[in-house]
Amino acid sequence: MNALRRLGPALLAPVLAVVVALVISSAVMAALAVNPFDVFSVMLNFGDSPSQQVTAMVVIVNRAIPLFLAGLAVAIAFRMGLFNIGVEGQYRLATIVAAAVGAAVSLPAPLHIGLIIVVAMVVAAFWAGIVAVLKVTRGVSEVISSIMLNFIALGTASYLLTGPFRGSPEGASIIATADIPPSGQMPGLNGIFDVFGLANPPRQLYGFLLVAAVVGILIAVLLNRTRFGFDLKASGMSPSAASASGVNARSMVIKTMLLSGAVAGLIGLPDLLGNTHSYTTDFTAGLGFLGIAVALLGRNKPLGIALAALLFAFLDRSLVPLQIADYPSSVVTIVQGTIVLAVVVANEIARRVARRSAAGGSAAPAGGPTAGDGSTGVVPTPPPGSTDQRQGAQA
Amino acid sequence: MAAPGVTGGSPGAGAPAQGAPYAVELRGITKRFPGVVANRNIELRVRRGEVHAIVGENGAGKSTLMKTLYGMHRPDEGTILLDGREVTFRSPADAIDAGIGMVHQHFMLADNFTVLENIVLGSEPTRGGRLDLAEGRRRIREISERYALDLDPDELVEHLGVGDRQRVEIAKVLYRGATTLILDEPTAVLVPQEVDELFGNLAELKREGLTVIFISHKLDEVRKVADSITVIRRGTTVGEVDPKTTTARQLAEMMVGSELPSPETRTSTVRDTVVLELRGVTVSTPGGRPAVDHVDLTVREGEVVGIAGVEGNGQAELVDAVMGLRPLAAGSVLVGDQDITAWSTRARREAGFGFIPEDRHRQGMLLEGTLWENRILGHQTRPPAAKGWFIDRTAARADTERIMKDYDVRAPGPDTLALALSGGNQQKLIVGREMESKPRLLVAAHPTRGVDVGAQAAIWELLKDARAEGMAILLISADLDELIGLSDTLHVMLRGRLVGTLDPASCTPEQLGGHMTGAHGTAGAA
Repeated sequence: MNALRRLGPALLAPVLAVVVALVISSAVMAALAVNPFDVFSVMLNFGDSPSQQVTAMVVIVNRAIPLFLAGLAVAIAFRMGLFNIGVEGQYRLATIVAAAVGAAVSLPAPLHIGLIIVVAMVVAAFWAGIVAVLKVTRGVSEVISSIMLNFIALGTASYLLTGPFRGSPEGASIIATADIPPSGQMPGLNGIFDVFGLANPPRQLYGFLLVAAVVGILIAVLLNRTRFGFDLKASGMSPSAASASGVNARSMVIKTMLLSGAVAGLIGLPDLLGNTHSYTTDFTAGLGFLGIAVALLGRNKPLGIALAALLFAFLDRSLVPLQIADYPSSVVTIVQGTIVLAVVVANEIARRVARRSAAGGSAAPAGGPTAGDGSTGVVPTPPPGSTDQRQGAQA
Repeated sequence: MAAPGVTGGSPGAGAPAQGAPYAVELRGITKRFPGVVANRNIELRVRRGEVHAIVGENGAGKSTLMKTLYGMHRPDEGTILLDGREVTFRSPADAIDAGIGMVHQHFMLADNFTVLENIVLGSEPTRGGRLDLAEGRRRIREISERYALDLDPDELVEHLGVGDRQRVEIAKVLYRGATTLILDEPTAVLVPQEVDELFGNLAELKREGLTVIFISHKLDEVRKVADSITVIRRGTTVGEVDPKTTTARQLAEMMVGSELPSPETRTSTVRDTVVLELRGVTVSTPGGRPAVDHVDLTVREGEVVGIAGVEGNGQAELVDAVMGLRPLAAGSVLVGDQDITAWSTRARREAGFGFIPEDRHRQGMLLEGTLWENRILGHQTRPPAAKGWFIDRTAARADTERIMKDYDVRAPGPDTLALALSGGNQQKLIVGREMESKPRLLVAAHPTRGVDVGAQAAIWELLKDARAEGMAILLISADLDELIGLSDTLHVMLRGRLVGTLDPASCTPEQLGGHMTGAHGTAGAA
């Protein structure tokens, strides 16, 4: 009962969002004269043979790994109220540099893979660090600068791919970096299927799953159990109270963005190390933006993000079967889009419900999250409109 | 729709037209927020064509009252009467329709719009469905002339000074046909000359028959401009007075009250060791004026140094300077013999600075955090909160429970969200956590603000005990009895300077009030 009450509001929003998204998508499909139940059954159909079913799961998990890392990267910044939209650029730039470095060197296997991972994290952290430095020194909004840096990152990645890092021969239909030698390729985890007596599918389960799991646990511990995590959370809840408690706001922005960037650097690696072994013109794009949706749906908590990543990966997998069954694959995009919209609304509703129940069910006007009205010290929940006074007080 | 020429009341300002209804009358207004009664049984009577001041300390409930009158929220009890008719406001739009206009303390103007565009924004004049700026310009010129506001409709607001912006705000409400204007702390942002200009404008408004409700805590200004004054203390009206026959000191006394339980400490526990020393500390505001001006101050072990002053005279900036939250323009801060001017807030906290902030929601609490998180806020680098780089949740929770018991914080448990607590309980938690870290120096800004009398007495006891054990305390307060009763040394702050030092053993709240308003030199005995 108690656990349910605590988890209730946390679960309420995402579940509500997914349900609303399904209802809206069904309505859209009905309007397009497509039977939504047929579509959903295609999406849920993982195939007939055990091998097909396991393959479908491998596809989902393989897709969920980068989505999980992307959601994590976004969530770290979200926790302290920073909006890192630059994850997209950060991981794309990091992946191409890591691919080029990985192809250029020859090292014993663990070191080789380790080097590629470190390079990717450093490059992405550096790119995110630019955003942080601009914000701290010049007061540039991280939203604006990270969007702008996305364009620069994608442009730079294209230049590097067609220029210095080009590994494919002239005239090849797909431009790629040189292949990473076998010592820098990460083996799959298909051994576990044999252990559990499942059919061993042809497709490899990415070994990066283990890295992602470790990163997820480390980040969860860092955010929830350490002093750094507490400072981060406090800064997100109330920058002014955090400062008064001794948190250095500027250095927190830099540390948080570096950390967010470092995690973003990992996003491209499951595919790079486990499958493609080179960065190509058609390397998976858009994971950074999907990461924002995943973080929102997962309410910035590592476990929630993992579940959200699995859901998005499930939707992603159904693209091909839907096309085979001659249904519009844009159905998936519609579902994803409505989930994002619904989750934003649902999060806000859940927050108000939580506040209201915390405030003892009284009809408190819903004010800003941390608004402390400078001029009316006795009023715990100032009505809307007091935020301007708060800003005035800080000015 | 503008009806400034209303002649219902007698034009002779100040004469309480017998029988004529009040322009604004509030009867028994009570407004509760979760855990707090912000307004209790408020009685207010404002005659037409007068400037009526409402004074009270910050937190006394002035703003809540004005929000009620302006329709921003509805009172739980009581009635509002305009010209003798009972009204109910569901939103500010209803209040505007009834002729009430509000000039906010912080301007709500778009910088990149002209005066004209700002004023008509939201109630644009149209002709045949199209925006009729010429008509707007004409009406603004007319208003500007009539009330001597001196506005150029086509000037960009970003080019205007603070005083001009305020006149734009006033024109905005007049344009909407207001006959009763509420000015919320209008002088807070103005320099003295601008204040004089504003008072000139108010006289114009009054001459044209408009009613002005003027909210302030600056007593000398209020006495200069108001025709009558209603004093609010602790959420309720304590009375209406005539500024001509009331001194600033009497007003101050009404504002802070003097019937409270006595916070007196006696036998001195002051030791020789200096804990905190400020040398020529100066803090600048963004505008360049010094908010704190060459302050020299010493706090010794076992000493309570009180800073008295009308709010907004630099106390908040002084506190920030001591805590390292605001850079110094000049001067230095020393702890013992060590110059800590360049130290971060965290370094100061770890060196033994405790801090009870003035605005607990802004600086003291994570409202959406749990109580144990709030317990360790500001102490997250030391036991029991920290274990190396980690947060020791178990110890933090256990210690929170102990503080809740020892300091009588009424809440279900350490995992309750802070926003579920009443203001008094939140304050007790803050006081508890700061006291439990056994600071060498405690910076206590308004430590008993917004708490009930019982909690107030408990907090006073705690401060006295800590002082006896050798804690150095810098006390900033607006409660004169608290200052006189607790302090060993009492400084008066006025316009950023320490202008006087009083002996708390021999001074009265009246004398202190006189020093705070800078009126002690001119006004004699009452």
